[in-house]
Amino acid sequence: MLNALLYLRLTSFRNWLLSRARRLRQPKYLVGAIVGGAYFYFFFFRGLSRATGGGARRAAADQAMATVNVTLPTDWLPAAAAVGAVLLLVLMTAMWVIPTQRAALGFSEAEVAFLFPAPITRRSLVHFRLLSSQFRSLVGATIMMLFSNRWSFLGGNPLTHAIGWWFIFSALNLHLSGAGFTLTRLADSGLGGWRRRAFVLAAVATVVAVTLARLPTGERLPLSADDFNLQPLADWVVALTSTAPLGWLLWPLKWVLGPFFAPDSFRFLLALAPALGVITVHYFWVVRTAVAFEDASVDYAERRGARIAAWRSGGRRLGQTPTKGRVAPFRLAGLGRPELAFLWKNLLSTWPYFTPRFFGGCAGLIAVVGFWLNTQPAWRGFLPGIAAVTLMFAGYVLIVGPQFARQDIRSDLSRADVLKTYPLAGWQVVLGESLTPVAILTGILWLALLMFAFTFHPATARFDWLTPGIRLAFALAVAAIIPALVSLQLLVPSAAALLFPGWFQTSRTRGGGPEVVGQRMIFFFAQTLTMILAVLPAAFIGALPFAVTVLLKQTGPVGLLASGLASTLFVLGVLLAEVACGLWLLGGRFEKLDLSAELQP
Amino acid sequence: MIEVTALTKRYGQFTAVKDVSFAVQPGEVLGLVGPNGAGKTSTLRCLAGIIPASAGTVRIAGHDVATDAVAAKRALAFFPDEPRLFDYLTVRQHLNFVARIYGVAGHEGIAQPLLEEFEIADKADQLPGELSRGMKQKLAIICGLLHEPRVMFFDEPLTGLDPLGIRRMKDSIARRAREGATIVLSSHLLHLLEEVCSHVLILKRGEKIADGRIADVAARFSNGDPNVNLEEVFIRATGGSET
Ligand SMILES: Nc1ncnc2c1ncn2[C@@H]1O[C@H](COP(=O)(O)OP(=O)(O)OP(=O)(O)O)[C@@H](O)[C@H]1O
Ligand SMILES: [Mg+2]
Repeated sequence: MLNALLYLRLTSFRNWLLSRARRLRQPKYLVGAIVGGAYFYFFFFRGLSRATGGGARRAAADQAMATVNVTLPTDWLPAAAAVGAVLLLVLMTAMWVIPTQRAALGFSEAEVAFLFPAPITRRSLVHFRLLSSQFRSLVGATIMMLFSNRWSFLGGNPLTHAIGWWFIFSALNLHLSGAGFTLTRLADSGLGGWRRRAFVLAAVATVVAVTLARLPTGERLPLSADDFNLQPLADWVVALTSTAPLGWLLWPLKWVLGPFFAPDSFRFLLALAPALGVITVHYFWVVRTAVAFEDASVDYAERRGARIAAWRSGGRRLGQTPTKGRVAPFRLAGLGRPELAFLWKNLLSTWPYFTPRFFGGCAGLIAVVGFWLNTQPAWRGFLPGIAAVTLMFAGYVLIVGPQFARQDIRSDLSRADVLKTYPLAGWQVVLGESLTPVAILTGILWLALLMFAFTFHPATARFDWLTPGIRLAFALAVAAIIPALVSLQLLVPSAAALLFPGWFQTSRTRGGGPEVVGQRMIFFFAQTLTMILAVLPAAFIGALPFAVTVLLKQTGPVGLLASGLASTLFVLGVLLAEVACGLWLLGGRFEKLDLSAELQP
Repeated sequence: MIEVTALTKRYGQFTAVKDVSFAVQPGEVLGLVGPNGAGKTSTLRCLAGIIPASAGTVRIAGHDVATDAVAAKRALAFFPDEPRLFDYLTVRQHLNFVARIYGVAGHEGIAQPLLEEFEIADKADQLPGELSRGMKQKLAIICGLLHEPRVMFFDEPLTGLDPLGIRRMKDSIARRAREGATIVLSSHLLHLLEEVCSHVLILKRGEKIADGRIADVAARFSNGDPNVNLEEVFIRATGGSET
């Protein structure tokens, strides 16, 4: 039986590879694959022969560190292993806290259709599922090995790292399945979702609290160190994670991490046995809990049948209430701009938090805390730090945010033929579809801006001109420009989706493969390039009003205010014109899009 | 109302629809029949402007689908064989969304009778995941009917519906045709087509074999047999069961 399942898995994989290879016949996909391959080569494989140049780089890094007065721990390994174990603990705790759905084995629709009616035992199905996830663990381990090979503090060699990663991924996978099944069983015996969450969190919190209390006083967290010495921090982490009871909780996790952190082959071999032990225990746990679904008392057979059917379909959640639709984010009248319908629809597809009220609440909170911080001399020292972190966060949101906020044409590509029957021009569809991520990212960036405005307090006299009035004017100008900037950023992923629908279709289901990396790389270049090309003319035109005021010698408050206003409007005008241009081009592309030709090479 | 001239659709090297021309007037119901893979779905998708035709022109209500797509699409509705719904919108939210897209004022007043006509009014606040296949199909149909289209394309509208649903669907199609709508539908259920359609077009491997009033087409393939049914005509026209 397992043979048939193995056959299914392998042939699927082969056909998947073949269809990808065939797609490369289209030049645009081929270019992506080449870029991706090159990236892979330069980023990873060159790093495999680590001896070359690594020492020099490290020396340079040490030198750089020395100048900023940072003392690094001499041996990173114990601290890294401790942090790794804590991370695993966090992930596994999340597996017990977060799930809302009943455990589903995660079969695809076709697998459900073919395998469930087939005369296969539940145990074989579970095995099949575990086998499939092993597949993913292997791929993930290889990729992570290429990454971690650049971490200079590790011992071992690429092979031990790959195997180490495999242990980590397998343990996580198995734990996820096991936790899911156990939770489903607990739910069936009446343990509600919130009680379970409270219980798990309380248990972990208790363990951490007891451990902290038991920590020898000499090992308390070294809080205010003047120079940046990381050694005490590292020592503290190690001490914390080896003190009971947290230490006990972390033991199995440290075993799992053992092969990865093994400094040499001998200790790697030693570490294998405990790691294998943990995996084996997990395996039996999963098979046990999964199988127990069917062979329970006969009394419940009928009810359980219905429940198993629901469980198999994966459509039911924990608890008794059936899945319910959400309340709409706002009232959508029949008449009006049709683009807003997409905003309305896509907001329904994300978290319910993205509402004006929630953002307003956050803004209020930030304002209150910001005011308070400004009045507290003791805290003022932290403000520059907060400002810097906020600025970094905002930059991250602006650049990487479009990858996460995907409630646009990317998520609707599979329904493109429905969208195409709508009586809308292509640009209207693209515009409407991008409204939701624009709104979400704009909201987040506005909050960051607010935070920054409150916390940016440069100490140097060079910034004396930054009066509250000018601060406010700046903030308003930036706030006005943010939506245009975000829209511009979001045009790039939309363009990628419309130009490479084949990749977007597949990359939603599973990532990986150099061509997808190539897609990401092209995407990143394109985004950076768009940003530069788009912002340059805007910046140039935006500088004009200031140049004029300086030339006319009108640098008084009125002149500056007027030129600031004009400059903002100019920048906004240029950016919006660019967005309009992009929308128009992408709209044309959408109208011509022939999905049937793209998806079946 | 629908004018198709020399429509051709190619997928790469493969020609799925070859040089097909026909016209459908208001009040007529054209049945598109042919073996699996004959090109019915491809034809309908070209007519609705979902996929671009490789050659030929399609005019809907006087508007060319290729050059004046928005006006043409405002007049038409396409009902795919597999209902394509948004997983996260409830039944009522689907209708709300579609109403805004087509600019239907007072859509609640139109939607409620439709929901009742198709008997899914009690599911109005549920997500598609909780609907049966037939219910999903009904929802897709209601979404398409909301803006009172003058031209309708149905791809296999009757599969998946219960007997009562089939009856309702047939009545609904016939009534809309009487009210002046222009309808093209594809189906393999020939005895049902016979009841609904005024005209029929037979496709085989992408080519048109015959089209016209059902009686006329039947006469062409009857070999003198006076009351031959559509099924017999289909078998004779497409040359047995092989495609
Ligand atoms: N996206 C595509 N890429 C390549 N070939 C396709 C594509 N879609 C359809 N075809 C081919 O075009 C031909 C016509 O397909 P179509 O779906 O129009 O048939 P159909 O008449 O609707 O069949 P059925 O009765 O099974 O629904 C078939 O041979 C099919 O294989
Ligand atoms: Mg078809």
